[in-house]
Amino acid sequence: MDIFLQQLINGLTIGSLYALVALGYTMVYGVMKLINFAHGDLVAFSAYVGLTIFTQFFGASAVSFVDVIIIFLFTSIIVAFVGVLLERLAYRPLRTAPRLSAVVSALGAALVIQNGIMLIWGPNMQIFPADLLPSTIWNISGVIITFTQVCILALSAVLMIALYFFINKTKIGTAIRATAIDQDAAKLMGINVNRIIMIIFVVGSMLGAIGGLFIGLYYRSLTFDMGWVYGLSAFIAAIIGGIGSIPGAMIGGLLLGLFNALIAGYISTEWAETLTFVLLIIILIVRPTGILGEKTAEKV
Amino acid sequence: MNKTTSIATIFILVMAVFPFLVDSAWLSIGITFLVFATVAFSQDIILGRAGVFNMGHAIFFGIGAYTTAILNVQFGLEIIATIPFAIIFPVIIAIFLAGPIIHLRGDYLLVATIGFNIIFEQVLSNDLFGLTGGPNGIFGIDVVRIFGYELWTDTSIYYIAFGLLIITLLIIRNLDNSRYGRALYYINKDEIAAKSMGINVPYYKLFAFALGAAIAGAAGSIFAIQYSAVSPESFSFMQSVMFFAIVLVGGSASLPGVIIGTFVMFVLPELFTEFKESRYLIFGAAMVLTMVLRPNGVWPATFGNIPKYLKEKALKHKALKDNSKGETE
Repeated sequence: MDIFLQQLINGLTIGSLYALVALGYTMVYGVMKLINFAHGDLVAFSAYVGLTIFTQFFGASAVSFVDVIIIFLFTSIIVAFVGVLLERLAYRPLRTAPRLSAVVSALGAALVIQNGIMLIWGPNMQIFPADLLPSTIWNISGVIITFTQVCILALSAVLMIALYFFINKTKIGTAIRATAIDQDAAKLMGINVNRIIMIIFVVGSMLGAIGGLFIGLYYRSLTFDMGWVYGLSAFIAAIIGGIGSIPGAMIGGLLLGLFNALIAGYISTEWAETLTFVLLIIILIVRPTGILGEKTAEKV
Repeated sequence: MNKTTSIATIFILVMAVFPFLVDSAWLSIGITFLVFATVAFSQDIILGRAGVFNMGHAIFFGIGAYTTAILNVQFGLEIIATIPFAIIFPVIIAIFLAGPIIHLRGDYLLVATIGFNIIFEQVLSNDLFGLTGGPNGIFGIDVVRIFGYELWTDTSIYYIAFGLLIITLLIIRNLDNSRYGRALYYINKDEIAAKSMGINVPYYKLFAFALGAAIAGAAGSIFAIQYSAVSPESFSFMQSVMFFAIVLVGGSASLPGVIIGTFVMFVLPELFTEFKESRYLIFGAAMVLTMVLRPNGVWPATFGNIPKYLKEKALKHKALKDNSKGETE
């Protein structure tokens, strides 16, 4: 029972990370019908930016609550800027091009970011300093919960609720949903589609940036190619939930996190990745639209 | 002689005399080029001709290489005897893997093939059934023996690879002029229209997969012979991304396009070894730039497989239409 509860907590933590990153994939796919392969690398980039800000400007030592907020804010602004730049340079010129051209462009952009990280920070593994958050640990009848985990769970929950209201209750959110349904009609209704897509990249990259910082805090070791790994997992989460659906990405992330943690706890870590992908393929065969995805008829 | 045929002839002539013009370092680059060009052409059958978003092509290349390695090293079969298996196994696996997912829409299929590739990588490095040799792979693959001759020089391996490439080009030429090729072309252009004309879409797509896998498997076998070793990283997801990019950057279903793509992705890096560090950065930037400037690839195909009389008919029809428009105005 203790193992189960422990893996439940771990699974929810990893799941929130996946969900934060998956939101970026699903929002871009919902509006542009494009798999943003570079998103995972943006997440990795954010972990490195956070590391540099923390070590360069705060001396990698314990800092106050306000400083932590500043680090998170600055990192997500820088990453959002790169995200918007990515859209401008690699995706916008290809909006009317064949679908595959945009996919290749996305893969190219992913390579640029990934190897940019390698050239800036070097090919060796970097350790994320542990002192950003207090290292308090609670032991509740054998189940260990760290302060980092509580932070991840709490902040992810707040961000997801905020995003839900932003998409469903605000005017910009309505415009985003309209653009996702039909870009041309949205344009005719006076929505500035370019601006909406920019907003999506800003929001998606910022959520991904926070996910990236948490990945750094939780796993501690950073490698320049980790974007592929976390990006693919988050992308699977988006598909499980139903790609294009925002609540779907949240649910998919949590489910995938739990699935991973239970496999690691009960079966083996060696085959964890394989089993994740087997799950993905089974879902693609049985229900390609995911849990919350709507079945849409192909337009002729 | 049309344009494609003349380009193909020049290309084949140049490649045929290539080993006599260069030193041994260049010769091994030449073998790599031939092997990867063959794999790229086989990927082009699936991606460029059938229009199936396959991002797991390194699987079939890898199965071919590992089949040769395992049968030779673990079971002591002659290399020549392993090649038929290196062609048949990838076909069986391709049908087995692609069968259940072939009905999926573009992007979902892309993701499923990525999934297969990552599972494949893990199976190889986790040493399933103790056959694949784990993360280090298998080494000590024998030399090729035919009728008592030992073909161990790079020149002979070069000509084996060259022979395979020519066979591949012939297969593609025949495919283009056949019922199958036209069906694939039609499916690629408009799947729903093809389906409503009675074309068995899943059947032809699976056919493309199987044919592509067979050729990639044979190329994998030669890859194993060239290095006399195989290891999982040669068949990683990243490699599949490269094969995917070669076809689309060069120009899908275009012979010069695929050759240019292979050259840019696999030969140019050998020329600029001082940029080895930033090699993938430059690749990535080049991929984005090519797609932005030429969304259909550097050298897109102009389709020659529409029968000539139909083209003339269409032109005549258009001319008539334009004339009648002129009269009414």
